[in-house]
Amino acid sequence: MSHGPDDCNAEMRELFFETSQELLQSLNDEALKLEKNPADLECVRSIRRIVHTLKGDAAACGFRELSQTAHAMEDALALESIPLNTIAEIAFTAADTFAVMLAAYQRNADVPSSESLQKMLRKAAQDSDSEKSSEQRASTMSTGPAIWNEYEQLAIQKASAKGKHVFHVAAIIDPRCAMPIAARQLLLNALEGWGEVLATRPEAGSQKPGKKLEVLLATEKTSEELARRCRIPTVTLPEVSVQVVASPQPQPGKTNPQTELKRTDAAIAQSETGSSPAVTDPPSQGESPNTSGENVLRVDAERIDSLLDLVGELILGKSMLQQAFYELAQRFPKEAIRGRFLDAMSFQARVLSDLQRSVMKIRMVPVEQLFRRFPRLVRDVAKECGKDVELALSGQDTDLDKRLLDAIAEPLTHIVRNAVSHGIESGQERTVAGKPARGTIRLTSYHQGNQVIVEVSDDGRGIDSQKVKMKAVEKGLLTTDEATRLNEAEILDFVFRPGLSTAEEVTEISGRGVGLDVVRSVLQRLKGSVEIQTHHGKGTTFQLKLPLTLAIIKALLFHIGHRLYAIPLNAVAEIARTTESELHLVDQHEVLQLRDRVLPLIRLGSAPSDTAQSARKIFVLVISMGERKFGLIVDSLVGEEELVIKALDDRSISTDLISGASVLGDGRVVLIVNLPAVIERHARSRPGQQGTVASGFLLPTADLKLAQSKVEAQS
Amino acid sequence: MEQFAPVKRAKDGQPIRYLVVDDSVFARKNLARIIGTFGGQVAGEAGDGVTAITEYERIKPDIVLMDITMPQMEGIEAAEKIVVQHPEARIVMVSSVGYQENIVAALQRGARHFVQKPVKPEVLYEVIKYVLGDDATVASAAGAGV
Repeated sequence: MSHGPDDCNAEMRELFFETSQELLQSLNDEALKLEKNPADLECVRSIRRIVHTLKGDAAACGFRELSQTAHAMEDALALESIPLNTIAEIAFTAADTFAVMLAAYQRNADVPSSESLQKMLRKAAQDSDSEKSSEQRASTMSTGPAIWNEYEQLAIQKASAKGKHVFHVAAIIDPRCAMPIAARQLLLNALEGWGEVLATRPEAGSQKPGKKLEVLLATEKTSEELARRCRIPTVTLPEVSVQVVASPQPQPGKTNPQTELKRTDAAIAQSETGSSPAVTDPPSQGESPNTSGENVLRVDAERIDSLLDLVGELILGKSMLQQAFYELAQRFPKEAIRGRFLDAMSFQARVLSDLQRSVMKIRMVPVEQLFRRFPRLVRDVAKECGKDVELALSGQDTDLDKRLLDAIAEPLTHIVRNAVSHGIESGQERTVAGKPARGTIRLTSYHQGNQVIVEVSDDGRGIDSQKVKMKAVEKGLLTTDEATRLNEAEILDFVFRPGLSTAEEVTEISGRGVGLDVVRSVLQRLKGSVEIQTHHGKGTTFQLKLPLTLAIIKALLFHIGHRLYAIPLNAVAEIARTTESELHLVDQHEVLQLRDRVLPLIRLGSAPSDTAQSARKIFVLVISMGERKFGLIVDSLVGEEELVIKALDDRSISTDLISGASVLGDGRVVLIVNLPAVIERHARSRPGQQGTVASGFLLPTADLKLAQSKVEAQS
Repeated sequence: MEQFAPVKRAKDGQPIRYLVVDDSVFARKNLARIIGTFGGQVAGEAGDGVTAITEYERIKPDIVLMDITMPQMEGIEAAEKIVVQHPEARIVMVSSVGYQENIVAALQRGARHFVQKPVKPEVLYEVIKYVLGDDATVASAAGAGV
């Protein structure tokens, strides 16, 4: 009859891992709060409660090491004299230790030792008042057999004088019950109304763990009734002994020491008030978002993904139907039933777009889930760098596709780390510069059109574009000649190139591993972008722009060299019609005078071979990428369409100019252009060698053909 | 998982209805699972003391399983408030050894019993039968509990 770890089935384990992550997050949050305000007892209580819950859950799942470690921590926190300023540090260490242990359980790996935490706990316990523990030890010794003291003897006499039986009830505590004091209370509850309790063992107020419960009771009931009453399952064993201590004595005693009896009462009363500290606690203000919503379902993300896939297929089906209908309508232009088809199809389209939106909404989670980890991160990095940095969060309730949220976690972490270790100056430097010694990092998120923006800004030293320029030249990424021509924004763009770091000293924290080039490539993969604004001496802002969702985009379709391409519609600011003869060359770059500004052009297809084509009509798609605008020259426009993006793996395609593909209703394949990559390629291209302009990025190449055939094969 | 002889309400033979109060979703699900093996029915759940009180009013359960440490309002206070309004309420405190004093306080304020975390199904089963007393019948099937 074991109800140990084996009972905890896989689903419960999953639930445990999920909820425990939330607990650890709360633990970090509380620890941060406590660190700011070490006298906040409410925080300490919250920490204890969190650790306590973790302990209970871990024990129920059979994760013994974790449960024991949490237990040790809970005990240590219970010591009233533990120095408050050490608790935050302990809680941080504990959160880390627990996280490592949880990860090990999850992988079914060996559980790492929690020795460093244990050591901290032991030290804290030692530092706490030693007098207290000796006092506790003394009280442990003071327990004896049921020998009634003087007052109790008098109480017995008095009761029997009142015509009552006095019984000595002795019950053995059920070995499954580890709480003798609670057991005694329950026994007293059971006897309430049954007579007068003259004495108990263990004594009122005693914390001594015992195996036996004894009560001295003055009552009119019989010993059999008492024995039955005192059998409380799981608390006392069925063998209850009830012995008569005194029998009724009919003469009323006048010499009764009333005072003594009162003292006994008082002792009990005292024990009652003394043992209820929790009731006077102010109600905790800790919020637990996951527990208040009773209607919350936890669903595996994969299930939603497969639902989303199905919706994607439906949308494909919708455009197939539309295609077929148009052909039908052309063939039978007078057919009356067309109207009904149109009605049904528009109804279907509306429901479908509602369905799509609902499914998308399921995938949306507030960015708070991601932001929550940063207070701790900033604290740790700031501490390591010896800086004073405050983190301000806002817009935490902005929703973002879960997959996107997970994907930007790493890049965002990198940027925030950089901001603390490189962006924010040392306190001294800041004071000299006339800024408050404490640096501020702001993490913000908000919607902008069809995009979600996540911003990290600091009020630090900013990025020195001169330094970037020098470094780029030094690393051979730029010739001195080019360097003089580039504007500020173009120079700043170099920080996203591989192999360029302007940090003067490489710190342990931010000088290794991924750089900003990785940040950019992750964002490009997500069809987003990263931009940077900096003011020397005032601070830097990184802006991550993300599409609302990954899987379905509204796109503009166009032809280049008889091949179909698409770009996200939200990137298109406007479409201009012009002729070849309207284009001009500046510095070997093609430009178009569009109203009052000069638009740099990117020619995706081939340049006209002879001047005879100069009257040829062309379309220019005006693309806005942050502050900058570009024009894409395309051969012809096809129209708008909702595209269900099929990801291309790296083996299908080796160019980064294409970010994905889609299949239209009629089975044609569309390649989706990776705009940031195209613009970057354009910026890097060196025209002028043969006096021709850069062009033909997307002319059919072996790569593109291969990609197309792969997608066709898949669908 | 062990199955227990189902405990039913004596008056109408219906399953015992439980209100499970704990701030840990995990603990609630765990208790619900155990209750299922008793033939009981989770009529409501609450993650804090305030919700526990409103849920009690709403569903009038036969048994309340109440955690001690919770946000908003602790289990003791919630138990006390429920008992003041409904002296017939059967509240079983569920907590670990470290909170013995709090359990004592809850018992003094009208909680009927306690079980210790991690909850052992056979212990809870005994407690439930004891707390329900004559208001419950245990199906005659053999192998009732311990």
